[in-house]
Amino acid sequence: MSFLYCFKAEWIKKKGSLAAWLVIIGGFFTPAIRTCAAIYRSEATRKALLKPDFWNNHWLASWDTIAMFLLPMGVILATSLVTQIEFKNNTWKQLHTTPQSYTNLFLAKLAVILVMLVQFLVIFTIGTYLSGIIPSLIISNAGWPTAAIPYSKIFSDSVYFFMDCLPIVAIQFLLSLQFKNFLVPVGTGMALWITAMISLSWKYSYLVPFSQSALFYLKNSGRITRDLPVHEVALLYFTLITVISYILYITKKEKG
Amino acid sequence: MYCIETHDLCYRFSKEQTVLNGINLQVPTGSIFGFLGPNGAGKTTTLRLLLGLLKKQEGRISIFGKDLAKNRINILRNTGSLIESPSLYAHLSAAENLQIQQMMYQCSSLRVKEVLEIVGLSHTGRKKTGQFSLGMKQRLSIAIALLHNPSLLILDEPTNGLDPNGIIEIRDLLKKINAEQQITIVISSHLLAEIEKLVTHIGIINKGQLLFQGTLPQLQTKQSLDACFIFQTNNNTAAAAIITACGWEATEQNDLLCLPLAEDQVIASLNRQLVQNGIEVYRIMRQQNDLESIFINLVK
Repeated sequence: MSFLYCFKAEWIKKKGSLAAWLVIIGGFFTPAIRTCAAIYRSEATRKALLKPDFWNNHWLASWDTIAMFLLPMGVILATSLVTQIEFKNNTWKQLHTTPQSYTNLFLAKLAVILVMLVQFLVIFTIGTYLSGIIPSLIISNAGWPTAAIPYSKIFSDSVYFFMDCLPIVAIQFLLSLQFKNFLVPVGTGMALWITAMISLSWKYSYLVPFSQSALFYLKNSGRITRDLPVHEVALLYFTLITVISYILYITKKEKG
Repeated sequence: MYCIETHDLCYRFSKEQTVLNGINLQVPTGSIFGFLGPNGAGKTTTLRLLLGLLKKQEGRISIFGKDLAKNRINILRNTGSLIESPSLYAHLSAAENLQIQQMMYQCSSLRVKEVLEIVGLSHTGRKKTGQFSLGMKQRLSIAIALLHNPSLLILDEPTNGLDPNGIIEIRDLLKKINAEQQITIVISSHLLAEIEKLVTHIGIINKGQLLFQGTLPQLQTKQSLDACFIFQTNNNTAAAAIITACGWEATEQNDLLCLPLAEDQVIASLNRQLVQNGIEVYRIMRQQNDLESIFINLVK
């Protein structure tokens, strides 16, 4: 019960913050670009809309830039922004004098970030659907997509992408709890992402943190054929780093 | 009955830097306890230890008769605090900032409106606290501290940034809640004049050591004991010998002679003796004995 109150309080804190806007704008960004592109290339869109695997292709194409670049960047920024609200406003001391256990405070903050990630995936999915139907309403003589929407694939892909982002969340969360300077978590996050991108062709690239969502996308779109334990590694990293993060948080000598 | 008690509280930032050295603080329940000391004396460190913001190294802290280390959450449930500068979410309004605390303390949502009225911020509406003046931020921080009707308020320099009217308002507010709700208030400051009119008890800390604690009358008694007459002469050593020969004890301090308080006739007689012995007496004065000077003497 007391965790629920903590979560509600954390949820109010992100209201109107840059992180909250990032989730909404980031979720609709790629679908909006794809809608404009589809309207501009009307002839190709007319043909694509009639294909039996339209939704499948549309869904995969929508993930193209998201999985490799925008999603990791968004998670790096949003996690750091949400966690650093306390440093930015000098509120750790106020938070740590509330009658809440450190465990509740830690988990509530983490839970808000995870719910925001789910929020992003839902917004992105809705955006992707809209970017599929809006061109057919605007382009003259364009048919309504007749292909069946692959609901289970959309759901399972979203769950996997969520899991693959967890190591990014955990690492950014740990860094943002420990360092007052916003540039430390963001800079480290960027460096890890670049490392992950460079390592994608490596045999053991799935072991590199931040590579999981890109690898899953490459596998999902058929560009990687070998089996990789991407999701398992992502969950393992998340669990391990979150435990370390928790220990560092509760044993911190100065709490504000 | 003490609301706060510390036993041999010590704190070091490093081996060389001892911030607190054996602090035995006793804050009576229902009192307004002024915690005084110059900047860097250890006031904020003590208050942060009392709130569990710093990990205790040595000693024992007891609040409401309970050990802080074992009852942190229960103690904080009845404690309101303001440590140094205001802690507010700049992108949220005053009401939203209070809502966050209302969730944390699980108190009635009606209190949000009540405390905003108490500190005179009910007109701020949707204005973000980032756009507040320092005085407004300070008042909102006090509202946060009062939100859950605490039994103990720990305020570290709460009138920082307030104009004289604001200081008087906050002083009246604290007096009122102390009188009406018997809330124990610990208020720190480096300015005695600022809290002299507010407190019932005083603790004076300097260089990590508690130099005095007690009631205001006790401090005033100490003041009168410490008060003295000052003689300034052309030969203090010779003058001291003459005064001693007359049965009074005179001590040399810098270029002055200090004598314990005595009746005017005694001082006149001593003056006569000095002059008759060829000593030139430039000045005789009673040493200032207001609270400010005793504070300065204590922390010298």
